Amino acid sequence: MHSNQEAKPQLLWLQGVTCNGNTHSFINLETLPQLLEKFEILYHPILPSTKNLHEIVSLKNSCDILIFEGAYDPVLKRGDTLIKDVIVHYAKEADYIIAAGTCASFGGIFKQSAPQRNSGLVFNENITQGPLMAYKEKIINLSGCPIHPEWLSTILNMILSGYSIPLDSLLRPQELYSSLAHHGCSRNEYFEWKVDAKGFGLKEGCLYYEQGCRAPMTHASCNKILWNGVSSKTRVGTPCFGCTEPEFPRNDNYVTKTNMSIPQDVPLDIPKRAYLSVAGMAKTFHIKRLEGKLIDYKRDN
Amino acid sequence: MITKEIIDQIEGEASIYFDMQDGKVDFADIVFPHFRGMENILQGKNALDALLITPRVCGICGHSHLMAAVRAIEDAYGNSGQIVKLTQKAHNIRELTLTLEIIQNHFKWIYMVLIPKLNSLNNNALQETPLKGAYAASLATKAMSVLSGQWPHSSYMVPGGVTCDPTYIEIMQAKASIEKLIAFFERESLNISLKDFLRFESCKELNELFSDISKIEEQLIMLNMHQKGFSYDTFIVLGEHAFSKKAKIKMTRVTGVDVNHVSTEEPFILNERSYAENALYKNIFHETGPMARLMSKNIKFIKNMHRRYKDSAYTRVMARIYETGYLLEHALNLVSSIDVTQKSIIPLNGIDKVTARGIGVVEAPRGPLIHKIVLQDGIIENYKIITPTQWNISSGPRSKLSPAQKAMSGLSKKEAEFIFRTFDVCSVCTTH
Repeated sequence: MHSNQEAKPQLLWLQGVTCNGNTHSFINLETLPQLLEKFEILYHPILPSTKNLHEIVSLKNSCDILIFEGAYDPVLKRGDTLIKDVIVHYAKEADYIIAAGTCASFGGIFKQSAPQRNSGLVFNENITQGPLMAYKEKIINLSGCPIHPEWLSTILNMILSGYSIPLDSLLRPQELYSSLAHHGCSRNEYFEWKVDAKGFGLKEGCLYYEQGCRAPMTHASCNKILWNGVSSKTRVGTPCFGCTEPEFPRNDNYVTKTNMSIPQDVPLDIPKRAYLSVAGMAKTFHIKRLEGKLIDYKRDN
Repeated sequence: MITKEIIDQIEGEASIYFDMQDGKVDFADIVFPHFRGMENILQGKNALDALLITPRVCGICGHSHLMAAVRAIEDAYGNSGQIVKLTQKAHNIRELTLTLEIIQNHFKWIYMVLIPKLNSLNNNALQETPLKGAYAASLATKAMSVLSGQWPHSSYMVPGGVTCDPTYIEIMQAKASIEKLIAFFERESLNISLKDFLRFESCKELNELFSDISKIEEQLIMLNMHQKGFSYDTFIVLGEHAFSKKAKIKMTRVTGVDVNHVSTEEPFILNERSYAENALYKNIFHETGPMARLMSKNIKFIKNMHRRYKDSAYTRVMARIYETGYLLEHALNLVSSIDVTQKSIIPLNGIDKVTARGIGVVEAPRGPLIHKIVLQDGIIENYKIITPTQWNISSGPRSKLSPAQKAMSGLSKKEAEFIFRTFDVCSVCTTH
């Protein structure tokens, strides 16, 4: 009889050009012990593994799920072996290949290390020209800089349960990327009534009009499945930078680009004209509650 | 004979080329092979974009990079005529999240690096519980995220303050996570209250604990780590915080420092290209990190340990463990001192009005982290990052060994690899 260990799907975590942010984000997972129990971890950059790096790059094993973190760089070596050869070897046998984070999905920050060379596994930004194009059917892109631990855990558990995972055109699970980072934002009422934040460092006001927030244009569930179980960028007054999208990182991230004081990018798929009509109308109202402080700590002083 | 060893699980990889004589390390040069080019990526961008880009230098200490970046930009504001003075609230929030990042780092190192590597030297004498480290770290990052939005890769510090505007709900959430983590540390790591642990003045007091920490200490002694891994007994601290004092410490002599004396040079490498530069102060190598910080603050437990065991691997390891507790108490004090009625941010002129140089220094988990910025109308002309591992794990020639090279000399290869890790190496930071 096989031992439990042998029966578990084998998971391999490899790295390209990376900051290790996806690795550390994953470690935050509240249910990490329970999730790890379900796999044999062949190799992970910091978690206990059944093989060492030397054994992994000698290419004598195979894995069921390959997770790749970081941008792909054809000349990068891990354990003295070209990562290019390592990923193709494991990709062949794997049932699923997960691009963990935006670098592995689209190139991300580390595409800029060597723009002519580096890319994601399947996509170079949004163009299909990555090294694993031939294995496109097995790829799941979990973009985000870094990856959200709960998103990875959700997908790994869906795989284990045998559920089908519908993907969008950028190979991201619709489950996690059909909604926008805007959904669940605690500032939504300010967005609806077009009340701008008067600056950074305020819980009141919407960050879309001046502070560069891209949540209404960004496929992500950051405000639905909170970060570290408790928060998100917009909840702490930081604009969404659109880190799950192929264009990340953009330039001038803390300011909204405008044309004649109208945001250049309007909420996703909303006709600009429709948006401007509604926005213009909403702006004509003055709603006292939304224009003042939510809590007046000094009232009783 | 020269043999190459690839070291992983150090936030990336390094290669050490050991030149062995009679089974002992005669010389070792250290290579960090992975290029990333963060400084080039930043050139030509808006200065504020450094707050988004630089945390991505490192998955384990991105918050330290964020704080060094924001301080560099604020320094540039100052040099262009607008002095930035934070509110006490913004200052305390920044210090709190930085402190918590150091704490998560140390927990991971203790449980995911130190214990397994001690076991490889001593026949699995210790129980390996890496997920204890992961869990403890996640409590620290949860407490941070209440204020920073997320960890890793928050960008919530901006020139003049912080973007968050916490209510008491967030303050109590953060405080509850810190209290939970302290209780975990007391129960799972110490077997004594944090207060009592921090009252310790001598390592002998650890003997009666029967805990993870006392067992680690026992193993270090059994492996003679109190007689191995000595470096130059010369330390440097450049970040000024409540938990560290800017200073140069030679044995026990403490003197002032000026960050302008910091320089970098090409590493001495024989066999392969390395993308790490050496970092020096007045052209001399110095050790950085928890031991340096605790010496700078005159902490009795570490001063006494150092008197007895100098800058051995033992003192280096125990300092990191002690600092975990020291910072937990500091974090609790900080979270309790945040006055939510103060402003989160002081408004500044637009960044496009800033043409100046700036320098930002913080103590990151492994020591001083320096960001230098040159701005022209708010656009980055030049960006330079110097990270803590560049100090500890420089690679010099035989005539000028770095702290890690010196500490590995004369030991077996296996011991040398362990000593290498006692510096808590961060490969990704080093090859930013």
